[in-house]
Amino acid sequence: MPLWYTSTVEEHLAVRNKAGIFDVSHMGRVTLDGPDATKLVELLIPTSASSQAPGKSFYTLLLNQKGGIIDDLIVMRTEEGYVLVINAANKTKDLSHIQTNSEGYDVNIHDITDSTTMIAVQGPEATQALQPLTSIELSQIKRYTHVSAMVGASRATITRTGYTGEDGFEIILLDTGLQDVSVAMAVWTDLSTRARPSGLGARDSLRVEAGLPLYGSDIDDATNPFEAELSWVVTKGKTGYIGSDSLASFSSTPLSRARRGIVLEDKIPRHGFNVTGDRNEVIGTVTSGSFSPILKKGIALAYVEPAHAKIGQLVDVMVRDSAARGAITKPPFYDEKLFGWKRLKQQK
Amino acid sequence: MEAKRDVPEGLYYTREHEWARLGSGVVAVGITEYAAKTLNDVVYLSLPPLGQDVEQLGTFGTVESIKAVSELYAPVSGKVTKVNSDLSNHPELVNQSPYQDGWIIEITPSNLDQEKGKLLDSRQYADFLASLDH
Repeated sequence: MPLWYTSTVEEHLAVRNKAGIFDVSHMGRVTLDGPDATKLVELLIPTSASSQAPGKSFYTLLLNQKGGIIDDLIVMRTEEGYVLVINAANKTKDLSHIQTNSEGYDVNIHDITDSTTMIAVQGPEATQALQPLTSIELSQIKRYTHVSAMVGASRATITRTGYTGEDGFEIILLDTGLQDVSVAMAVWTDLSTRARPSGLGARDSLRVEAGLPLYGSDIDDATNPFEAELSWVVTKGKTGYIGSDSLASFSSTPLSRARRGIVLEDKIPRHGFNVTGDRNEVIGTVTSGSFSPILKKGIALAYVEPAHAKIGQLVDVMVRDSAARGAITKPPFYDEKLFGWKRLKQQK
Repeated sequence: MEAKRDVPEGLYYTREHEWARLGSGVVAVGITEYAAKTLNDVVYLSLPPLGQDVEQLGTFGTVESIKAVSELYAPVSGKVTKVNSDLSNHPELVNQSPYQDGWIIEITPSNLDQEKGKLLDSRQYADFLASLDH
């Protein structure tokens, strides 16, 4: 995926207002099946897998024993087992973590990344953009569910998920991978007549605007899910998964930091900039910074001390040598009545 | 991909991709089409106050796209006597018209005759860009 095809801002706005497509084939795709697949998945994630019906897609985390985040991922429960969509940069680490913990389990682990292609179709017009390529009625696929269907000339898994805050689909084309990209190219070319090809720049500005964390920037193996505002993935009462003991102890101790959004009045925050309080004391750090084409302002995802984490609290972000005034917010940064997948529900 | 580059004749250039247009007693400064394209969408500029002294090839501000920050380097030493105020609301002018409406500052030079020799002319800058492709 290039940084941009024509213009990051135009690609960003196309996804918010119409539809865009992203070649996300670099994302890792791993299948788990066999008699013990559910048992293994239950060991690996804090979300209850057995309570997810086949056809469900859900966001969750791989944790280490200390409760730190090894990766964040989408899990799809299928009739045969599970499909895990993981971060490209973490694939080797994740696979070795999964392999190590699968000892004694009757389970098949397959890395299908190279033999498949993945395309994200995102935006309020994603359904219209994708529909001509498949006979399945896309409007029947609910958010966070998936189906098997033909897309173009390939068998595919279509999941109604994404990394932009918008409605849309992520498609795994099962019959077209690195060995033969022609079928995938045909799908991409057809999609591009109805949705704007978009690059990494827009993918990042869209996810920051939606408040979605990026592994390696906003979360890592030293981040606990509570401070990252990701504890909603932890199924209440679930025990016995890797990291569960640490998570139990986190939930009873006060947090040392909390993940928040900051909207600046002026200037653009960047990764690593300090957040300061009234007495110029450092109260936090920016982990993702961007310019929001919707707000036309600089926006940040940051960790701040809990005492300064109240919504609406004014803080400063040190932009190189000068302080820029900002307000603590809870992302997404856009008005959810006007943008994002939830607006569709409100129109109905 | 060998792109056709827009390098107007009659301007002077830095290796940091600023251009300088010599007028009567003033030097207009902007970034080149190559720089604007490389940054992609310019969304923010941080510019000096009027009257600030700048040194040749010293930084005088920053230009930012959604994901990147680049320093701006003064082609000549002198005093900043004008700042393009249109850019605060329309930073995209830098992309749309890098050599005209997207000009950034004007400098009243203090040592132009000596410093001119350190700048590239349009042919030298075009050659410099070509060398970056390899």
